[in-house]
Amino acid sequence: MIKDLVCALDYSACAEWALALFVVAFATITYGTLKLSQNASDRFASIPLTDHVEDPR
Amino acid sequence: MATVTSTDAPQGGVVEGHGATNAGRMEEFSYDDSIVRMFATATIVWAIVATLAGLLVAVLLILPGLAGGSQYFSFARLRPLHTNAAIFAFAGNAIFAAVYYSTQRLCKARMWSDALSRMHFWGWQLIIVLAAITLPLGITQSKEYAELQWPIDILIAVVWLFIFGGNFLMTLIHRRERHMYVALWFYIATIVTVALLHVFNNLVVPIGWFASIPVYAGVQDAFMQWWYGHNAVAFFLTTPFLGLMYYFLPKAAERPVFSYRLSIIHFWSLVFIYIWAGPHHLHYTSLPEWASTLGMLFSLMLWMPSWGGMINGLLTLRGAWHKVAADPVLKFFVVGVTFYGMSTFEGPMLSVKAINAFTHYTDWTIAHVHSGALGWNGFMAFGMLYWMLPRIFQTKIWSDKLVSLHFWIGTLGILLYIIPIYAAGLMQGWMWRAMDDTGHLMYPDFVETTQSIVPLWWLRVVGGLLYVSGTLMLGVNALMTWMNRPSEYEVPVISAPRLSKEYNVTEPKAKSHLEGAPVLDLSKKLDIFGRMGWHRSWERLPVKFTVLTTLAVIVATLFEAIPTFLIRTNVPTIATVKPYTPLELAGRHIFVSEGCYNCHSQMIRPMVSETKRYGEYSKPGESIYDRPFQWGSRRIGPDLAREGGKQSSFWHWTHFENPENVSPGSVMPSYEHLLTEDLKYDAIAPHVQAAAYLGAEYSEADLNDTANVAMAQAERIAAEIVEQGGPAKTYEKQAVALIAYLQRIGIDLFAEETPAEAVPAETAPEGEAAPTDEPAEVAMNHANGSQID
Repeated sequence: MIKDLVCALDYSACAEWALALFVVAFATITYGTLKLSQNASDRFASIPLTDHVEDPR
Repeated sequence: MATVTSTDAPQGGVVEGHGATNAGRMEEFSYDDSIVRMFATATIVWAIVATLAGLLVAVLLILPGLAGGSQYFSFARLRPLHTNAAIFAFAGNAIFAAVYYSTQRLCKARMWSDALSRMHFWGWQLIIVLAAITLPLGITQSKEYAELQWPIDILIAVVWLFIFGGNFLMTLIHRRERHMYVALWFYIATIVTVALLHVFNNLVVPIGWFASIPVYAGVQDAFMQWWYGHNAVAFFLTTPFLGLMYYFLPKAAERPVFSYRLSIIHFWSLVFIYIWAGPHHLHYTSLPEWASTLGMLFSLMLWMPSWGGMINGLLTLRGAWHKVAADPVLKFFVVGVTFYGMSTFEGPMLSVKAINAFTHYTDWTIAHVHSGALGWNGFMAFGMLYWMLPRIFQTKIWSDKLVSLHFWIGTLGILLYIIPIYAAGLMQGWMWRAMDDTGHLMYPDFVETTQSIVPLWWLRVVGGLLYVSGTLMLGVNALMTWMNRPSEYEVPVISAPRLSKEYNVTEPKAKSHLEGAPVLDLSKKLDIFGRMGWHRSWERLPVKFTVLTTLAVIVATLFEAIPTFLIRTNVPTIATVKPYTPLELAGRHIFVSEGCYNCHSQMIRPMVSETKRYGEYSKPGESIYDRPFQWGSRRIGPDLAREGGKQSSFWHWTHFENPENVSPGSVMPSYEHLLTEDLKYDAIAPHVQAAAYLGAEYSEADLNDTANVAMAQAERIAAEIVEQGGPAKTYEKQAVALIAYLQRIGIDLFAEETPAEAVPAETAPEGEAAPTDEPAEVAMNHANGSQID
């Protein structure tokens, strides 16, 4: 069935599909990243600086 | 924090119970630095071996006679040994040292299983040793960076995915730090993607323990190989080293990464984009145009996130540049990250079709690869080791001056390596395509180009020698540091409770800002969704995060792979292209075993300069029986796609005996052993059966009386050799099988037309005319676009 489905598709559109997929994914990630608070960002970035467990985690 | 002492024995029982989940109960644990010491030592040993092997093959390229005619030390057999040693032994062990050191500290937990850690170490070293034995013996799949045969491939899959991956994932699950730091994301992407790439590129039909043929053929095999090949660079030599950068650079600089937000964007961009880029290795080949364009497009997109990562790394040193002047560890990191930026600019640039048309098959690619491998991977690994050695051996580094000397001599070595090889690539590109006023090639003799770049190859040897001497300095420094270690290592013991199952400390259950406002429920839900709390929760859930990363990679792969495999017009059939005869299959196996693809391509691109030099450009339908494909990736020697019938059989015999006899100035070594060693006719049948199993059409005689069918063809070629003035009784020798193969390459396209064969109905999409109903020339027109240049 998948073979029939793929054969019926216009594969020349793959590049455009891929680009659209990428743009949506990239925009979502960028948006989500910008929503990260400065406090959380600073806390996450400092994780490697100590080998010991520091609260709050 | 308490401290206990230890020898280098595993500390399997260190006061930690994995079963407990009671968040309030204090637990004591320690980090397993013993496994880090093991991988760090292996990294140094294999760095020396890999760079020495590189130096050896660089010399053998110029002085092929240095091998003394031994087939085990020819350039073509040792080059894969060098690349495998550099990638999987040196870089691989560096990755593992980094992962084992940083993961434990980022998770605030010991590795889940000491036993699995050690099985991983010894399993990986066994794989490397098996590679070192099998590759010089000519046991190879001939796929670049995936040369190892199927039994070793199975071992790799088990060690990588189940032992290493399993131990890593379980450590994440049992961690004590709520947030998974971004370095861990890069490690997760590495583990799942490399496993996928490895398994799907190595699907083969075994022919005994030491040979196999891939389930893919021709165009599809090439597509899979470079999907693997490019992403081996992406997910073995890039993402784990970025994880390393995001952990060790802040540690060495003693300041957090410049922008954590940028590191998140960097990660997801690479995961989404990298997997598409493989087809840029196949521009202007028989790969469908759309796939090639897609590869180029995504390669160009890679530039921005890569440079985002580079900038993030360099700006981590903001306010600490004074430390760089004094600290050689930071110097290694700065140069390493700079080479990352350079390589990730050059890579997208080389993927642009117009530029790739010039650089492909030339030494430019070799220079590009080495600026990444020596500069980025090498220097990041060295920086990590010099930072780590005093900590894991618990003493100060033996000689700071030697570290500095290593840095400067290594940097000089890289420059002295890549600059001449860039120049060699430019010279090859220009000389191969240079035309005179009458429209003829200015340098029709291939050897002329080779000879003109030999001085540049010598400069590369000098650069390589400097780089090798740097790795030897690292070895001496590490050995002396280890000798000054304390009699017993201190093992700090840390007390901390487990993580609670519920996470509601800083981010209580999401409530919409629109609560109470006169809006639809949908708006409230969208408001909560838009706050991206779901992404924050993914970042805390290792299994879900791993599944999502895997999905991102698989979806992108399927976008390219499904059309390539299932749409029939991608590989139009050519009526006159037939399967190889049994003797030709045996010869092809010798071609593969000797690693001829390391120097000779079999892919003529549709460019005037190529068609004038080599003949009609290659069509997709010509390689449908090529398992594995042999398109190659560089031209140290000329392309062989139309070699059939170009030279006499005796010419080939003489060429194998000593290439300089018929091609003065050639850098090809002697293959005299093919003239003296007997061909094992009884061993041909399994090759024919495997090809038939995968769809090649063979007669009853080919399948059941293989040895006699092959012998009959060998006798005909032996008779030709005698007629052309050569020796008698050559039909017993391996060279005759190889000659049979070489005389067959590329001639089917011009073969006399035979009555058209019906295309199996189940493979032809409805409404599409079967190309086999057309004359060969007409069918060919479907195969590719028009000639360029």
